[in-house]
Amino acid sequence: MAKIDDILIELNLDLKDAWGGLLRRKVRSLLGSLGITIGVVALVAMLSIGEGAKQKALDRIASLGLHTIRVEDARTGVGITNLSYGLVLKDTQKISAWLGDRGSVGYFSRATNIAIYNNQLKGQGTVMGVNPEWFKAEKWLVANGRPLLPDDMTRQNRVCLLGASIASDLQVSVGSNLRLHNIPCIVVGIMAAKGRLLTEGTGLSTLDFDNTVVMPWSGFPFVKVVAEEPILDGLLVTLKKIPEREILPIAEQVEEIIAVSHRSVRDFSMVVPLKLLHKVKETQNLFAWVMGSIASLSLLVGGIGVMNVMLANISEQTREIGLRMAIGATKKRIISLFLCHSLLLTLSGGILGSLLGLLAALAIQWLAGWEVAFSGVSLILGPVSAGVTGLLFGIYPAMRAASLTPARALRES
Amino acid sequence: MALLLGRNLTRTYSVGRQLVTALATVSLEVIAGHFLVITGPSGAGKSTLLNLLSGLEKPTSGEVLYKNISLSKINESKLANIRNSAFGFIFQIPHVLPHKTVFENVAMPFNYGTISDPDHYKRLCLEHLEYVGLGKLVDRSPNTLSGGELQRLVFARALVRNPEVIFADEPTGSLDAANSTIILDLLKEQADRGRAVVMVTHEKEAMAYGSDILELKKV
Repeated sequence: MAKIDDILIELNLDLKDAWGGLLRRKVRSLLGSLGITIGVVALVAMLSIGEGAKQKALDRIASLGLHTIRVEDARTGVGITNLSYGLVLKDTQKISAWLGDRGSVGYFSRATNIAIYNNQLKGQGTVMGVNPEWFKAEKWLVANGRPLLPDDMTRQNRVCLLGASIASDLQVSVGSNLRLHNIPCIVVGIMAAKGRLLTEGTGLSTLDFDNTVVMPWSGFPFVKVVAEEPILDGLLVTLKKIPEREILPIAEQVEEIIAVSHRSVRDFSMVVPLKLLHKVKETQNLFAWVMGSIASLSLLVGGIGVMNVMLANISEQTREIGLRMAIGATKKRIISLFLCHSLLLTLSGGILGSLLGLLAALAIQWLAGWEVAFSGVSLILGPVSAGVTGLLFGIYPAMRAASLTPARALRES
Repeated sequence: MALLLGRNLTRTYSVGRQLVTALATVSLEVIAGHFLVITGPSGAGKSTLLNLLSGLEKPTSGEVLYKNISLSKINESKLANIRNSAFGFIFQIPHVLPHKTVFENVAMPFNYGTISDPDHYKRLCLEHLEYVGLGKLVDRSPNTLSGGELQRLVFARALVRNPEVIFADEPTGSLDAANSTIILDLLKEQADRGRAVVMVTHEKEAMAYGSDILELKKV
């Protein structure tokens, strides 16, 4: 215990001495740590940008649901053959039968730019016909009133629920009578605000929940019909809590079921958020390598600068080293002193670099509109990597200082 | 009693491809309470002998014994500890750390030795600064001191760890007569108090202070 106390006391003395040495040559110290500062600025800014991109991607995946499989109608509108008319109710029944209790199948049809009237007030929005499973899958909560009930589906009730924005714009309350285009509908619920489904870059169609009116699919008046077959705009397979490794094989099987049902006509698109997550991870790994290489190069250049400053300092302080040795400093203490010196030099550069890196990331966010996110790791990694660089590049100068003999060092002019 | 014993001390240096002998087979004793003056012409090896005796460098052949411990055979850490606790140094040029105060410079040897009680070492530093007449300048920067004051600061630093041997290499070489006398009187006083003093000088006035004189001849 006493030995640890002695080491801590000695370290404290060397750190104070080294700090005094840094302050003695302010301009040189500042210039010496500049390379490290720039390296850490690059590191922190890039980590923040990377973290922002990752967060955005993860938000998107969370919005889509990790345990879901989304299928949408992808008919081109030309060359529709009698082999397949698109996604139909039979597809959902086949998938549901195959899944059993492993999950459920939600589905919807959609009509956009529908005029919506509440007495004299008029709005425009998307109207969707959905089944109750779709609601559960989207985790969209009812703020006022009641959700869609199985009875609404069976009886083909002309009831609807409204998104928060459109309900507010049209001053709708539970019990209001709306007209969707010219079809009457009773409002049974107002939904909680949910924002948008984050579909950018996935190929899925956008959905602004808050400006949407939802009805039971069985009573949906705008359903498209091809050859007397009502067409769905999308399916949403929700899997119960199963291990991640089982999701992709299930997705492949769902795809196979639809493909067989559609006689191999590729008139649907499928998005598995778990696959997106894997892609995000791959991109992140690549980004981390590129970023790590750039930051390492910057720190390498900074480290060489620090080594230069340290060698210049040692050359100027040769007599001082001789004096310290004459009055009892061991080689170990001389090494410790100069390692403290380079550590403080790079650590101060690292801390300054971290702060400037944060500002740089904020400036990039402001100027380029990129998402940035600050993690504790990026803030700690800057000074830590700078400190490690200082220790690594301080070893050679420190060893060189310690290799002097006291008599020779005292003779140096 | 011989504190230090030098046996057949020889020191050679390589200068380019040539070997230069700075000191050849010198033997001597350093006794507690004696004031040993080492003198001789320039290049005779006076400073080299002092460096060998104080463990600042190692002899090419021969050995130095401090209380029967060979300085050549102990490890670097033990040698540093002996320099810290048993030896005090005064050089011709007063080596100080300019960014530290007078007090901090005197306290420096404690940075490299055991500190049992911080109050005790602070008191020792102040006492020694008082002793050399710098008691009112403790917070000053060494840059503001005169040559004589600087050498007294170095003197206080040499004494602060209560050494058994004081090594002084031309301690009056850069001082005027008045300051030289102050330093030499202080050294004599230390010898009178029972410490061994080893001083290198070529000044006749300084040589007069010695109880033993060793005159080296150029090799």
